[in-house]
Amino acid sequence: MSTYYAGLFADVGILLLGALSVYVILATGQLSLGNAGFMGIGAYLASYLTVTLQWPLTAALVAAALACGAIGIIVGFPALRLRGIYLAMATLGFGEMVRSFFLNFEPMGGSGGFHGMTHVSLGTIWLWAGGVLLAVLVLERSRLWLELRAVHDDETAAGLVGLDTTLTKVGAFGFGAAIAAIAGGLFAHHHVYIEPANFGFERSIEFVLAVILGGSTVGPGALVGAMLIVMLPEWLRVVADWRLAAFGAFLILVLLTRRQGILDRPLLARLAFRRSAA
Amino acid sequence: MMGMRAHFAGTLLAAAAMAAGASAVQAQSREVVIGAIVPSSGPFAEWGRTNTVTLKMLEKQVNDAGGVNGAKLRIAIYDDAARPAQAANSLRKLVGDDKALAVAGPLTSSACEVTFPVANQLKIVATSQASSKPGVAKANRPWAFRNTVDEGILAKVSVPYFKKNFNVESVALIYDAKDAVSTAISTRIMPAVMTANGVKVLNEKDPLSFNTGDLDVSAQVTKLKSLNPDGVVIGADYSQAVTVIREMKRQGLVKPVIGGTPLISSAILKAAPEIPLIAPATFYATMKGARAERFVAELQPLLRKESGLPPEIEPSMYDANIYEIVSMYIDAVKTAGVSGKPEDLEADRTKLRDHVAKLKGFEGLGGPIGFNADGDAIKAFYIVQGQNGAWETKVRGCSSANGGGC
Repeated sequence: MSTYYAGLFADVGILLLGALSVYVILATGQLSLGNAGFMGIGAYLASYLTVTLQWPLTAALVAAALACGAIGIIVGFPALRLRGIYLAMATLGFGEMVRSFFLNFEPMGGSGGFHGMTHVSLGTIWLWAGGVLLAVLVLERSRLWLELRAVHDDETAAGLVGLDTTLTKVGAFGFGAAIAAIAGGLFAHHHVYIEPANFGFERSIEFVLAVILGGSTVGPGALVGAMLIVMLPEWLRVVADWRLAAFGAFLILVLLTRRQGILDRPLLARLAFRRSAA
Repeated sequence: MMGMRAHFAGTLLAAAAMAAGASAVQAQSREVVIGAIVPSSGPFAEWGRTNTVTLKMLEKQVNDAGGVNGAKLRIAIYDDAARPAQAANSLRKLVGDDKALAVAGPLTSSACEVTFPVANQLKIVATSQASSKPGVAKANRPWAFRNTVDEGILAKVSVPYFKKNFNVESVALIYDAKDAVSTAISTRIMPAVMTANGVKVLNEKDPLSFNTGDLDVSAQVTKLKSLNPDGVVIGADYSQAVTVIREMKRQGLVKPVIGGTPLISSAILKAAPEIPLIAPATFYATMKGARAERFVAELQPLLRKESGLPPEIEPSMYDANIYEIVSMYIDAVKTAGVSGKPEDLEADRTKLRDHVAKLKGFEGLGGPIGFNADGDAIKAFYIVQGQNGAWETKVRGCSSANGGGC
């Protein structure tokens, strides 16, 4: 594989993790526009652990994921009182708060950024991305996922049949935040430099876009979305200055024709059937 | 028989002509590829687009004059949308797919921070046309260079002029907190240099800030006015500084302004002509000098025709910088024994780096250029004053440690 494609696939892996962090939260019917904030915390924390405290990367990523999971749960509680667009606004505010915090947090470089991380290989990125995707796929086949979907479809009804909706929603926030932290840690060690601008609103939107574009009802949708968001602007370089406009047009076209995203359950089933038939 | 002989001779002649033609085609099809990473879309699209026109002009000039050592020059230009990840991937593509000998760019310091380590890893020279955040090339030796001067060096010359010319005893700081270069200028460089020159910084502990894209800075300017400074330090690029200067004019705060290289543009002069502006530059469109004037005369019509930008567009300092970078690479290919053969690519890239690292007195648009041990340019710079809608040189400086080499 050329170094160019290796670089792109590394970006796909990191974006896949970011998209999965949104997907898990979205499964309970909550839209988070602040996952770049969790990613930022993960990136800074993992970098601090590997650069300043000389921890190995795996331990740093696990610690960042656990810490961010706890922060996700803390953020998840006030978010319980909000729904729909209000929750989206609140999480957006959280993301901006984190970005502003690191902008003014001089011990980690402030706006000047932070470096010193060791470059991580493409294999390591995909070991994490693939592992988390697999975990989500396994989760999708569990009873727990049915509970998540029940909360998504009708929270009141889910509560009436005895499900702990608070635990489900907050837990999903914590799990999503942990995945975003892993994405952040890998991002920091892939680019070997981080600055607060890396974790702004655009990054959160990119995560949500990958899920909506790829398919918001199935886990592998995040993979399709991440692939398209990274690869398409590169493949569209032939149209020069119009590449971002062409990318926008493609997005609109997909959302007009496939509101649920490119991948959905029927399409997945069809693909699986073809494979087994062959 | 005669007929047969004539036919045979004719065939020979035709074969010889074809062989000659083929070798000519071979020479013509040989390419020297130089890469460039510019932000043609995204927040710095104006600079990226003018950079693109500049590079296309240079490519045509070189090829019209016979190419580089008989080979055709191709400048492979990629848009990074000012996004660090895209800049790094563009560099990978230039190295792996385009087989570029060297790369000009990326433009922003953020993109350089991510791309320069990749340049080091892949062993290719990358020279930024605009990054001036302190220490970015230094952290990525030996393959990273910048055809720019560290803002810290420039401030040491601009501040004494600012103090003397406008009798400035005190200044107040305002800056774009989202931008690393602006933050470095306003919170680290300027306060230190001002204090060293005996100028009081009124809000050193609590500088006023805004964020890139803010359209309303009235509250910050009101606070600025209440401090009653003799001068104002604006740490921002020109597009953001315009908002501050307009607000200063609206609130009647007509005090001289000083900033870093990102202030230089013709657009900022039109925002409030009555407010004097002081900034350092290595090039500006109305600069005097044969090379600079010829560059502007050739580029300006092309910019108006091809960049898709408003007709008042002028060549910027970054156009001059990227023109110098690629010209420098071409000079290196011609003089450093670069073979241009695919099998020698790695050795050629190393020769090019060694040539650039040792470069002294290369004729740039504003004077001779070389590089210091940190990878930053040793070149002449000018402290310019914006007045009556044009920049005018007030002081000439040199970025080398001992003041020589320019």
